[in-house]
Amino acid sequence: MADRYLDLVNAGPVKSLAKKLGLPQPAVLRRYRPGAPVLPGPVLVLGSGSGADVLAKELLGWDLDVRRHVAPKERLGGIVLVLDELAAPEELADPMLTAGSSLRDLAPGGRIVTISRPATGTGQPAQAAARQAVDGALRSLAHELRGGATGNGIVLGEGVDAGAPAVLGALRFLLSGRSAYVNGQFLLVGSGVASLPANPDRPLAGKVAVVTGAARGIGAAIAETLHRDGARIIAVDVPAAGEQLAQVANRIGATALQLDITAADAGAKIAAHAAERNHGLDIVVHNAGITRDKLLANMDQAKWDSVIAVNLASQLRMNEQLLASGVLREAPRVVSLASTSGIAGNRGQTNYAASKAGIIGMVRASAAAFADAGGSINAVAPGFIETAMTARMPFVTREVARRLSSLQQGGRPLDVAEAVSFLASDAAGGINGQTLRVCGQSMVGA
Amino acid sequence: MAASPDATGTRPANVLRKAVVIGGNRIPFARANGAYTQASNQDMLTAALDGLVARFGLQDERIGEVAAGAVLKHSRDFNLTREAVIGSALSPETPAYDLQQACATGLETVVGLANKIKLGQIDSAIAGGVDSASDAPIAVSEGLRAVLLELHRAKTVQQKLTTLAKLRPKDLAPNAPDTAEPRTGLSMGEHQALTTAAWNVTREAQDELSLASHRNLAAAYERGFFDDLMTPYRGLAKDSNLRADTTLEKLAKLQPVFGKNLGAEATMTAGNSTPLTDGASAVLIGSEEYARSNDLPVLAEVVDSEAAAVDFVHGKEGLLMAPAYAVPRLLARQGLTFADFDFFEIHEAFAGTVLCHMAAWESEEFCRNKLGLQKPLGAIDRTRLNVNGSSLATGHPFAATGGRLVATLAKMLREKTDAESRPTRGLISVCAAGGMGVVAILEAN
Amino acid sequence: MSEVILGEMPTLSRLYLTAASTAARHKLGVGQQADQLPAVRHTVDGVHIAPERVSGFQQLMHGTVRDTLPSVFLHSVAFPVVMSVMTRPDFPLPLLGMVHLANRVNHLRPVHFAEPLTVTAWAEGLRGHHAGTQVELHTRIEAGGETVWEGVSDYLAKAVYLPGLDKALRPERTDFIPPQPTARWRLGPEAGREYAGVSGDFNPIHLSAVSAKMLGLKRSIAHGMYLASRVLTSVEATASEPFAWRIDFAAPVFLPATVAVRIHDTERDGSWEASEFTGWGERSHRLHFTGSVNTLAG
Repeated sequence: MADRYLDLVNAGPVKSLAKKLGLPQPAVLRRYRPGAPVLPGPVLVLGSGSGADVLAKELLGWDLDVRRHVAPKERLGGIVLVLDELAAPEELADPMLTAGSSLRDLAPGGRIVTISRPATGTGQPAQAAARQAVDGALRSLAHELRGGATGNGIVLGEGVDAGAPAVLGALRFLLSGRSAYVNGQFLLVGSGVASLPANPDRPLAGKVAVVTGAARGIGAAIAETLHRDGARIIAVDVPAAGEQLAQVANRIGATALQLDITAADAGAKIAAHAAERNHGLDIVVHNAGITRDKLLANMDQAKWDSVIAVNLASQLRMNEQLLASGVLREAPRVVSLASTSGIAGNRGQTNYAASKAGIIGMVRASAAAFADAGGSINAVAPGFIETAMTARMPFVTREVARRLSSLQQGGRPLDVAEAVSFLASDAAGGINGQTLRVCGQSMVGA
Repeated sequence: MAASPDATGTRPANVLRKAVVIGGNRIPFARANGAYTQASNQDMLTAALDGLVARFGLQDERIGEVAAGAVLKHSRDFNLTREAVIGSALSPETPAYDLQQACATGLETVVGLANKIKLGQIDSAIAGGVDSASDAPIAVSEGLRAVLLELHRAKTVQQKLTTLAKLRPKDLAPNAPDTAEPRTGLSMGEHQALTTAAWNVTREAQDELSLASHRNLAAAYERGFFDDLMTPYRGLAKDSNLRADTTLEKLAKLQPVFGKNLGAEATMTAGNSTPLTDGASAVLIGSEEYARSNDLPVLAEVVDSEAAAVDFVHGKEGLLMAPAYAVPRLLARQGLTFADFDFFEIHEAFAGTVLCHMAAWESEEFCRNKLGLQKPLGAIDRTRLNVNGSSLATGHPFAATGGRLVATLAKMLREKTDAESRPTRGLISVCAAGGMGVVAILEAN
Repeated sequence: MSEVILGEMPTLSRLYLTAASTAARHKLGVGQQADQLPAVRHTVDGVHIAPERVSGFQQLMHGTVRDTLPSVFLHSVAFPVVMSVMTRPDFPLPLLGMVHLANRVNHLRPVHFAEPLTVTAWAEGLRGHHAGTQVELHTRIEAGGETVWEGVSDYLAKAVYLPGLDKALRPERTDFIPPQPTARWRLGPEAGREYAGVSGDFNPIHLSAVSAKMLGLKRSIAHGMYLASRVLTSVEATASEPFAWRIDFAAPVFLPATVAVRIHDTERDGSWEASEFTGWGERSHRLHFTGSVNTLAG
C-alpha cells in the first residue's frame, strides 16, 4: 500500500505548503542498502569513560569519521552517548545538552544511540535514578527528531562492557539503515555469546532459516531479507497459500514447505525437511499469524481459539519439537512476531492481543532454554506496517494510525524484516528473551 | 561422477541404474470452464513446474530433460513444454520435449525419462502433462483451411480471386475438438458404455466406486496428504470436482449420459464418469545419486512399464480395455501376482473402466482366451485400490493424470515403507484413447 | 450383344439432362417406351484418374490418401458409362426416381491411380419386383488387359410394370432389432453434396432438400455409395484385394442423420476373412443397409 501523502509532502510545492500549514511532514526513511556506509556522515561519540574510548575506536574500524567533540556547523551522521558510567542524575546534563546543541546538524536519517546500564532494584538510588533518567530523556529526544532520524538505546546487562561484540552488533544495527523504523526503543544486551560477521552485508551467510507465513506481506519480506543477508530459506505457509509461497520461494532460491503450523507434528515436519534438505537449521522465524477481530462482547469460541492456536500455541509446540529434534545447530535463533497490540492492547483484538502478549511472555520464559542450546529467542513487535492487511483498513483509521508515530508514517514489511534478520544473526547473540518494537515510536502502548 | 563439469549424464550406458521418483507437484484440477478458464496449457504447465521448483529448491537448476504434453493442443503450442520451461523458474538451459499418447501422456513421460536416467543419459528429469478443456483449440473448417492454403500458394490476383470464390458460408464455421474416436465417431463414454454393458457391470457397482473415490480423496485432503503434492493456482486449493458430501442416494438420482442408444440399460452417469477438466502435473525423477547429492528425498523407484493396445475399431475389444492386457504382461515379465502389490492406482476414466478391467482379470474365460493364461489373475483387494481417490473425484485433465498418479503412489509407498519398515510395491494403470493402455510398477524400500 | 465404344467419358450432368427430358417426353406420351433391355455394351478406353480427385474422395471418407483406388471410387469412375446405358432412348426404365437396391462388387486386385482403365457397362436381368421393375447394371473395369473390378448394381423403377414380367411377391417383413454399434456417423445436410463433389454424381435427390423435393422426396438422402464407401474405408486397413463386397439398401438415409453402424470382423487362421455390417438410424432404429466384405484370397 503506497503512502501517497508521504510521497506528496516530499516533493516540490506541496512540501513547502505542508510545512507552512503545520501538517505532518513524514520523511523518506534512510533504509539499508548493501554496501552503503553505516551512517550518512561523521559520528559524534559523547562520554568520558573508558567505554566511550573503546567504542570510538571500534567505530573508526567501520569506516566512519569519529568525532569526540562538537565541531560547529558540521553535518553529523549520528551521535552515540556513552552513559554506562552514570552514577548520579546530575551527570546526565552535559552529554544530553551537548547532543542537543548538535541536533540541528544531524543529517536526515541520522541516528542517536545511548549506551547505558539498567536501573535495577538493587543498586544505589541515585545511580538507578540516573540510569532510569536516560530512558525518559532518550524517548523524548526521539519524539523531537525530524528528517527520519531516530533515537534508540542500548542497555548493557550484568557484566557487559560497552565494547563487547554483542554491544557492537546492536550498535551497528541501530546506527545503520536496518533500523529505519525502530525509534525510541531500548535493547537490553546481555552476556550471551555474540560474534560480528566477517562480511557485514552477509551476516547470515551459511545459515538455514525457516520462515512461517512466508507467502506474503511481512513473512515474504522476512524470507527475502534473510536470503539477502545470506541465509538459505525454508519458506512455510498453509497449503492454501501455496501459489504465492512458491513465487516467493522461486524468487529467493528457497524451498517451499506447505504446512499447517497448527498440526500436531508441524515442528517435526519442519525439522525433517530441514534435516533432509539442509542438514540442519539455524534460524526459526515464527511469523505466521491471523486476526479474527471482534469486540469481546461479540467474540465466539472459534474466533478466540483459532487466533490463540495459530499465533501462540503452535509456536510453543514447534519450539519444543524443534529443540527436541536435534536438527538445530549451534547457536539456534528464534524470532517470533509479537505486535504493539500485544503491548498496548487494541479495541476489538482481545484474542489477537492476548496471543501477541503471550509471545512476549513466551520468549522471555524460553530464553534460558535457548541460551542453554547456545542460542537465543526474541520477539519483534511491529506497529503500523503498510501491508495488504492494513490497506483494507478504513481510510481515516489508516491515516491516523500512520501519523500516530514519531516518524509520522507506517513502516514497511522490510523494516520488520530487518529487525528480524538482526535478531536472527550472531551479532545479536547478546540479546535474549527480549521484544523489540518496530513501530516508528508509535504513541500506542508507548 | 561427471565426466566434465558440463556433462548431463554421469554413467556409461552399459550398466543400468535406478530411476527414482523424488516428488511431484500438481495444481488442483478444475472442472472445465471454472477456475482455469482463462489459463492456457502453457500457463498451467508453467504453474505446475514452478510449484515443483519451489518445493525442491530447483531454481535456476539445469534439469537433464523435461518432457510433458497435452492431448488437446493448439498449433501455437508446437513447443509447449520447452516454452513452459523458459517461463518457469528452472534454468533456461533446461532442454524439453513434447510427448503425446492420449491419456497415457503423463505416465509415458515418466517412463521415457526414467529410462533415460536408467541408461545414464541424464541424471534428473521432470515429467508432466497438462490439459485444458476450457481453452481447447478450435480449428478452422477443412474447407476454409484448404482455401487458405491454396490462397497462400496462389501467385496472381486472378488465382487468388478464383481461390476465394471457392469459399462457402459453411466453411466459416469453426471445428471444435470432441472426444469422439476418429475411426468410430463414438465418444469415449459411449465406447465404455458398450464395454460396461458387455461385462454386465451394474449401475450400483459404478456408483459405489465413484463414492469411494470421492470419500477417499476428501479424507486424503483432510489429513493433509496433498500438502506436499499440490500447489494452489488461481484461487483454487482443492480439486473442484470433489464432492465430499456425495452419497449413493445422490449418485443414484443422476440420469444416464452415455449408452442411451445402445440397446442395453444405460448405467453411466455424470457421477460415475470423469468430467472435462483443466489441470497440470509434474514429477521430479532422478538417479539415486542425483537425489542424494542434492539432498532430495527418494519416494519410490520406477521399476518397469508396459504399453498395450487393442483392436477396438470394429468392436473386437473395448476401447479402454488395453490395460487388461498390459497388466498381465507386466506381471509376467516381473514374475509378480496381485498379492505382491500394496497399492493399485487404476485411472478412473469411468467407474465402468476400472470395474471392467477387474472383471476381466477375474474372468476365467477372458484370462484363458484373451490372455492365454491357465487360470485367472484373480481379484484386486479393494482396500488397496485408489485409496486416496482417483480421477472420478479429482477430475481428469487428460495428459495431467499420469503425473498425478505417479506422485500420489510414490508418496503412498514411501509412507507405508517408512511406517512398516519393509519394501512396498504399487501398480499404476492408465487407459487411453485409440485403444491404448500404459501400466507401470513403482517400488519403495 | 453389340459393343459401342464411346470416344470419351460421358458427362453425367448432360446425362441427367437427357434423362430429365426423356422423362418429360414419356410423361407427355411422346416417344416409344421399350420393354426389352438394349443388348449393348458401352465401353470407354483410356480412362485416366486425376490424383487430386482420388485424394478428395479418400479425405471425405476419413480414409488414408493412398496411391491405390478405393473400391467405391472405381464405381464412381465407371458410373457415367453405366448412366450412358441407362439413358439410352431404348432403355426400358426411366432413370430419374430409380431406387438403388443393392450393389455387389468383386475387387480383384489393387489399382494404381496412374493405370489407364477400360470401363464397360451393360444391363441385364430385367425382372419383376413387388414394387415395380428391377434391373441389373453390370460394370467391368480392366487395366493392363485384365479385369480388376467388376460390379453389379440392382435398381428398381418404382411403380413401373413392364409387360411380360411377373410381379414378385413382397417378402415377409422382419423386425429389426439394432445390434451393439461399433461406430456412429453424423451426416450433415451437406453430406450428399460433398459426395457429389468427389464422385461427380450430381443426382438431385442427394444435392439438397429443395432438389430432392422436386423429385418427390421429403429431404435429400445420403448417397448409397457414400454409405458403402464409409464402411469399406473402415475395413481398408485389414481387407486387401482381392475381395468381394455387397450392400443391400433397406431404407434411405434422410439428411441430416445420425447413423449407427456395426461392423463385425471374422477371422480364419488368424487372418481377416470377412466383415459383416449393418447401418441403422441411431434414434429411429430403422434399418438402412446391411452388407459384407469377404476376402477372395485363398
